[in-house]
Amino acid sequence: MTTTAENGPRHAIGVAMKRKEDPRFIRGRGRYLDDITLPGMLYLALVHSPYPHARIKSIDKSAAMAVPGVKAVITGEDLDAAKLEWLPTFHGYDKQMVLAFGKALYQYQEVAGVVATSREAAADGAEVVDVEYEPLDPVVNPYQAKEDKIVLRDDRDAKTNHIYHWEVGDKAKTQSALDASEVRIKERIVSPRCHPAPLEPCGVVADMNKATGRLTIYMTSQAPHVHRTAFSLVTGIPEDKIHIISPDVGGGFGNKVPVYPGYVVATVASVIIGVPVKWVETRTENLTTTGFARDYHMDVEIGATKAGTVTALRVSTVADHGAFDAAADPRKYPAGMFGIVTGSYDFPTAFAEVDAYFTNKAPGGIAYRCSFRVTEASFAIERGMEILARKLELDPAELRRMNFVKKEQFPYPSPLGFTYDSGDYAMTMRKALDIIGYEQLRKEQAEKRARGELMGIGISTFTEIVGAGPGKQFDILGIKMFDSAEIRIHPTGSGIVRAGTRHQGQGHETTWAQIVGEELGLDPQELLVEEGDTDTAPYGLGTYASRSTPVAGGALALASRRIREKAKKIAAHLLEASEDDVEWKDYKFGVKGVPGKSVTMKEVAFAAYTNPPPDTEPGLEATYYYDPPNLTFPYGTYIAVVDVDRDTGAVNVRRFLAVDDCGIVINPMIVEGQIHGGLTEGFAMAFMQEIKYDEGGNNLNTDFTEYLIPTALETPKWETDSTVTPSPHHPIGAKGVGESPNVGSPQAFVNAVMDALAPLGVTHIDMPLTREKVWRAIRDATRPEAVEG
Amino acid sequence: MNLEWSGQERIPAGRDVVWAFVNDPAKLATCLPEVQQSSVLDAHTLEATVGVALGPVRGKFKFKIVLEPRADGNHLDMKINGGGLGSVVDLVAGADLSTDGATTVLDWKSTASMRGPIATVGGRVIDAQAHRVISQTFENVKNRLSASA
Repeated sequence: MTTTAENGPRHAIGVAMKRKEDPRFIRGRGRYLDDITLPGMLYLALVHSPYPHARIKSIDKSAAMAVPGVKAVITGEDLDAAKLEWLPTFHGYDKQMVLAFGKALYQYQEVAGVVATSREAAADGAEVVDVEYEPLDPVVNPYQAKEDKIVLRDDRDAKTNHIYHWEVGDKAKTQSALDASEVRIKERIVSPRCHPAPLEPCGVVADMNKATGRLTIYMTSQAPHVHRTAFSLVTGIPEDKIHIISPDVGGGFGNKVPVYPGYVVATVASVIIGVPVKWVETRTENLTTTGFARDYHMDVEIGATKAGTVTALRVSTVADHGAFDAAADPRKYPAGMFGIVTGSYDFPTAFAEVDAYFTNKAPGGIAYRCSFRVTEASFAIERGMEILARKLELDPAELRRMNFVKKEQFPYPSPLGFTYDSGDYAMTMRKALDIIGYEQLRKEQAEKRARGELMGIGISTFTEIVGAGPGKQFDILGIKMFDSAEIRIHPTGSGIVRAGTRHQGQGHETTWAQIVGEELGLDPQELLVEEGDTDTAPYGLGTYASRSTPVAGGALALASRRIREKAKKIAAHLLEASEDDVEWKDYKFGVKGVPGKSVTMKEVAFAAYTNPPPDTEPGLEATYYYDPPNLTFPYGTYIAVVDVDRDTGAVNVRRFLAVDDCGIVINPMIVEGQIHGGLTEGFAMAFMQEIKYDEGGNNLNTDFTEYLIPTALETPKWETDSTVTPSPHHPIGAKGVGESPNVGSPQAFVNAVMDALAPLGVTHIDMPLTREKVWRAIRDATRPEAVEG
Repeated sequence: MNLEWSGQERIPAGRDVVWAFVNDPAKLATCLPEVQQSSVLDAHTLEATVGVALGPVRGKFKFKIVLEPRADGNHLDMKINGGGLGSVVDLVAGADLSTDGATTVLDWKSTASMRGPIATVGGRVIDAQAHRVISQTFENVKNRLSASA
């Protein structure tokens, strides 16, 4: 048993247990998609459109078919004949082409597939598929799309690029509150298009066994059960004939939630040819065709009193969704949880709206390591508060403190419709300010400013919203967003734990064992966790949007408690006591008032198979499908300290502190690892990454030479700490943490750089803050004419 | 990505000689740099396979080149379309011919649009390389004519 200061005495929860999955990962013994090779397997390579917008006049397969080893060339026309050309998108508002058919709608769109006996032969075949295009003018940004001069989707009845308008909040009240505000700020804040870029790209091995009629699909999937249902709905193959296995997944970050054309084409090829077909995408295919993130252009307005009390928030957003509306949002929430945009602050009124447009760019808008659209919302409000602080000449920490939702206001109904579960924002910020030595840093900054040096301190006091979700609000393809757990305890007291989630490096094999171990008093090392196989795992919605611990974690705890209920009967039988007199205490069953008389769960497990009570069925197992009553709201205070080089624009992140509050912590080491990873991604978004398109619709970031991934050389040293405010509605009080650092950090970096540049009058620069952009901002602000002007 | 270049060659040969040369696809083919293979399709059209090495884009590009002379004999448009390795290049090179004593002055102007992986190599790299290829072509025209003059 371990005692932790924050969680109290615990058996398994709160313990920094080493990850059970790591021995196989560290030794190269994981089994990833590309490790799978089946007898007689063929390989698929895809042909991509060089044009962002073009009519396809003809596709000549003959040269490709003549390449030795090529077995088949598949086009959109072939798929259309089989009624497999269009896929529904997850929220059901739009459909998506599998292979470009009639028109290519973005550069690198999949136009044909070549199936061959080797990866090389397939690539050689793809090289010579002769596609004749008639280039059309492209639409490359959402503001151009808004004009509707070029309408790109001629398959839709509505002849417009506008996809949807979504709004939440009180529009009129917000308008009048803004009009009446003593102080008002307005800024266009862009969360640029970026990409999750998991190190393992997407892939599939589809294996149609014509003898059994069963289709086994190995795929890089964050949500295998939903994918099974989607495949069944699209192909008409009964769901019992589809078996999806998501093997070890090398990072997902939301990128492995959607269904991609490569999966479908490989599956169609396997069904037709009757042998396994493998497709593994290249890095360029991953960056240019699979789900991007963000691309939200947000006009943020905040009203306040002169003293600094916020009075209203309005955020009007233009969203670029690319050629199809393939954003993986829940059905009733086309802009996801963007309503979290009021953040940690008590706005009396607020209004948010999103208008989304089609452009000739890759489709997506996935939740890259955040609950749907939460990173965008958090960036908007945290930048907005920083800009307001500067306008009011108030310390940004003080402005935040003044406007925080107070501890006693929870459960807090936000003006945009969410009910925050718990939090103590002022306490957590105080802890962070103390650890970093905020007042001392401000003094140092004042001295440096006097010498003309550029030093900045950036704060982000974000609130996340995760754990989708309550089934009454959230569904995907109509399926409620519950999750599930199934636990079987073996006679000797070890067991197997299965869940409907699918980890991609998060450490579920360890944390799930810790939850069950805690609830049942068993050793987590002896609880095998399995996920990702739809034949064995209970149906679940998968792992994304920080939903695993809030939803599946709840299912695991409640399934364990079901086991404990049955175990209590068996314990009463063993203890020769009435069930009413038996109590679960100190991870054992004892008899009330009789010290020293007890049985362990291991003893109960053995009895469940060898000596069950006469009226009780043998065995010890339980299943639970958990539909949470509410979302969870992890939060934190992040502080970045930077020095900016006046001459080169280089930013040195001198310190970065993350104080997170994710409620009860299951494994502090895993949480710390998650935070390090997410902060590194946030750092990359803030300083390095953007998927850019030129005016002709060319994607300019097609590999890791142009789309940068921070290495240990660039990555700052992270300092972490925590506070614990349990979720009152979650079975173990946990809130989830995986996405907090990605959601909370970009604005801390940007706020710090803007704070450094404040003496020059620079208010805002859009991410990524490359040296060039920072240098240009400094140069423009310090030009003699700028000073005079 | 759209690019533009221009330049001038002064050729010590008569205008008729220069005009005849640039209108002959077989002769022009010998002036294209890095040509690995070429074939003349008709009096105005040729196909050429060219070696390309631009950053990660390395391999063969196949181009169709169409010559469009203006009837007055003063201007020639050369339309070059093609590509390879998933990239597409559309290039138009226009040449104006004028006489300065015994010298023919060839003023050329070229615009190109590039799509696909080649566009991501980076404007400056492509700009410099493509400019070199086009100016080399016209310089080769001058050198060939100067040698025979």
